[in-house]
Amino acid sequence: MSIASDAATRPIGLHLSRETQQLAYRLLAVALLCLALSIATEAFFTANNILNVLRQASLLFFLASGLTLVILTGGLDLSVGANIGLSACFAATVIKATGSPALGTLTGLATGLAIGICNGLMVAKLRIPSFIATYGMLWVLHGITYYYMAGETIHGFPPGFRQIGSGYFLGVPIPVYLMLAFLLAGTIFAQRTIWGQQIYAIGANPVAARLTGIPVDRRLILVYAFSGAMAGVASIVFLARLNSAEGDIGEAMTLPAIAAALIGGASLFGGVGSVFGTFIGALILTLVLNGMNLLAVNANWQPLVTGLIVILAVWFDMVGRRRT
Amino acid sequence: MTDQAVSSPLLRLPAVPGVAVALAGLSLLFALASPGFLTAGNLSNVLVQSVILLLLALPMTLIIMTEGLDLSMGAVLTLASLVLALIVVATQSLALGLIGALAVGLAFGLVNGWLIAGLSIPPFVATLGTLGAAQGLALVVSDGQSVVGIPRFVRLVYSGETFGIPTPILIGAGFYALFHVLLYHTRFGTYVCALGGNRDALTLAGVAWKRLLVAVYMLGGAMAGVAALLMTARINAGHPTAAIGLEFDAIAAVALGGTSFDKGNGWLFGTLLGVLTVGVLRNGLNLMAVPSSVQVACIGALVIAALLVDSLRSTRS
Amino acid sequence: MSTSKLLAAALPAILFSTAALAAGETIAVFTKNQTNPYFQTVRVGAEVAAKSLGAKAVHYIPTKPDSIPEQLSQVEDVIVKKPSAIVFVPVDYKAMVPGVEQINDAKIPIVNVTDRSAGGKFLAFVGADDYSLGLETARFLLKEIGGKGNVVILEGVKGSLTNIDRVRGFNDAIKEFKDVKLLASQPANYQRLQGLQVMENLMQSHPQIDGVLAANDAMAIGVIEALDGANRKAKVVGINGTKEAVDAIKTGKLLASGDYNGFLQGCIGTLVAIRALRKEPIVTEVVLKPTVVNASNFQPYDTPLESRSCPSWNEAAALASKPN
Repeated sequence: MSIASDAATRPIGLHLSRETQQLAYRLLAVALLCLALSIATEAFFTANNILNVLRQASLLFFLASGLTLVILTGGLDLSVGANIGLSACFAATVIKATGSPALGTLTGLATGLAIGICNGLMVAKLRIPSFIATYGMLWVLHGITYYYMAGETIHGFPPGFRQIGSGYFLGVPIPVYLMLAFLLAGTIFAQRTIWGQQIYAIGANPVAARLTGIPVDRRLILVYAFSGAMAGVASIVFLARLNSAEGDIGEAMTLPAIAAALIGGASLFGGVGSVFGTFIGALILTLVLNGMNLLAVNANWQPLVTGLIVILAVWFDMVGRRRT
Repeated sequence: MTDQAVSSPLLRLPAVPGVAVALAGLSLLFALASPGFLTAGNLSNVLVQSVILLLLALPMTLIIMTEGLDLSMGAVLTLASLVLALIVVATQSLALGLIGALAVGLAFGLVNGWLIAGLSIPPFVATLGTLGAAQGLALVVSDGQSVVGIPRFVRLVYSGETFGIPTPILIGAGFYALFHVLLYHTRFGTYVCALGGNRDALTLAGVAWKRLLVAVYMLGGAMAGVAALLMTARINAGHPTAAIGLEFDAIAAVALGGTSFDKGNGWLFGTLLGVLTVGVLRNGLNLMAVPSSVQVACIGALVIAALLVDSLRSTRS
Repeated sequence: MSTSKLLAAALPAILFSTAALAAGETIAVFTKNQTNPYFQTVRVGAEVAAKSLGAKAVHYIPTKPDSIPEQLSQVEDVIVKKPSAIVFVPVDYKAMVPGVEQINDAKIPIVNVTDRSAGGKFLAFVGADDYSLGLETARFLLKEIGGKGNVVILEGVKGSLTNIDRVRGFNDAIKEFKDVKLLASQPANYQRLQGLQVMENLMQSHPQIDGVLAANDAMAIGVIEALDGANRKAKVVGINGTKEAVDAIKTGKLLASGDYNGFLQGCIGTLVAIRALRKEPIVTEVVLKPTVVNASNFQPYDTPLESRSCPSWNEAAALASKPN
């Protein structure tokens, strides 16, 4: 028993120091990237463009932050992009039908949450591997969305609602505030609460976690529910920003969201990673894209560059880990 | 488990794997519902359509058995197909084109294996990276355009017949037999089985398992190269997005076939059944003219349901 | 009577009733995806036409948007079913040629709609001329900004036929106006979110943009959201004449949309197929003339798709460039 509890607590003590070191390297990478882009084009280092990058990163961050908790438990959620699509379409319908953005927002969040809970139940209670359970869910969600939308779009929402996506407060876009709020809340939850620590422990060693009396199933359902709810949040910001909903709205977001978490230092073996790291990961990916647009680089190079960055970031961690 | 559970019908029933139940059930359903389903023409149709997926799913089974994953396969197939098309159009030589495609596949397999075995990067991450690299290279090589002007003899690889049987079916059967022998009747196969979950034993036995792991990923790359030939012959062109996402179909087929992600338990015949189940499902739904959106949901439900059957069985026993 | 016997008795009846339903011609309609509203207009057009002549339209859409292998498989499956005729929008105009040849071999009559196939034998081609559509739409915008100023182009998916021709039309129109400067031409892949983000990024490096030429409506709507968000003004045009674009034209946010008229394409394509089956005279080529939908002529486009009716055969034949 004492060995088991050791195994469960050991990674918690370790990850803080190594995590700090990893984050320092990543912040350095962001700084270097910014420096290079500032030299390359004068359009980059302007207040407007920085806010622009932050706002673009926010969408990716919402998705990736929920995903980070799932990855911390050693799982994966491939359904987040499809989740955005369905949640956005339901939310849009309700806003159109009732004229109430509040009801619509609730619908979007509830849809996302419900999908997340389904994923959690499949993984925790039915013991289907998360990769397959959420991949199946992806198809099911696409099917429902396509059937429901029948190739149409829903567009034109009240200006008040649009503020969530395109509004400003004190000169800073609203999604950026939302991102910072979730960053703070997510970090406190993961690092400073018992539940958060239990999630790290589950990822580090599920068997040991169970033996030490952590309610593993409930925590697993919690992280998938959280991931689903964050997709719901993303769907609302999407809606408000694009002023329209269509079936494939989040389709291209899943792999970038996973990439953001991985670039941010999360390990697919579980137990390692942080919400703040994922924030940095989302920032790096968005900066690269922004830089390529500003420099008018041929968009064909984009997947290649993204792929190389993912490998580099993870390799860097491996080297660091071996040294300590 | 208690005696009561052993005697429950639920335990005896799933002695047949979920995928076999699914395949038999779907076939029966479509045979009853659609008169065109049970014809020689249509059945050969389903087999031919399944071959490209099978060529990816076979090595994917081995890779997953080593507790790995290869997300780059679809993108590597696409790149190999473009390279093959460019070479064949330029030289009119199928052999040179195939060598080019295999070289692309082997090179990416080598890089994947080196990242995973050499640098200890998790397979998902390493191959997500090479997925981006291969997809990017495919766009750069082709500038986003299709490569056309493929000579007729290339197309015959897909549409031709040998001994009265469509050539792709023979190719698929040949590679299935090859993988069967490789996995179950050679030392390489024994080591592959041990690689997932019994790596320490291999080290103790003095086996250079890292090299073995690289070989497994190179096998995956090479098969992507072979599949590239069939894909090019099928669409009569090289296209920069032809096989994007096919790796997920392959992974789903392998999982459907009962290969597990964390214990190194693989079942090659299950993979074949998994591929056929996906093929039969798509074909049957098309024959019944089921709306595309419902088809999408059916595929997801099938994947979940088959895995559920297996998971229920494994928790009970 | 046991359930199985009941089933056995009922089954032939079910089969017979479906056979009876299909007594009129069955037209298999192939489109590229279920997410782009344009193809929904083609499908509705085909349905309205089929219904008006007592035939039935059955839709085949790849479950993965624009998937070449999947559309090929669907072609092979449909050949087994032997529909009376096929109305065909290839997902790729070059890579789908083998599929068309298989249909030719099976002796099923086929009409080519929207993207002109690079090979195979068709009863007729019904489409719009993307080049002149791009040219006319761009001219409309360039005149509206007074024949001078800075413009940007948002391109669609690289390598797609529609994109190549539309962008060529845009560029040729720009060449006609000496005082118009093309600042950038960047791809946003026909996607709304990409249109929005690419525009946001372009606005950073170009303080003055007077006009935006987007190769479809979804990107144009994304651009409008980006302009709104940054409180900047520019004239924007798109292509497709979708409902969403018409709504934006009504409110004055969008200057114009080149009309691609998918509804009419679906209508005429299906009419031609059914008439050929009934040995009535047909036309072999209908290339719809470009219409630039704008604030002065949007009214006819403001009715719901389902309640529109197909033109009479004489009206349709009058649009033909090559009568038979």
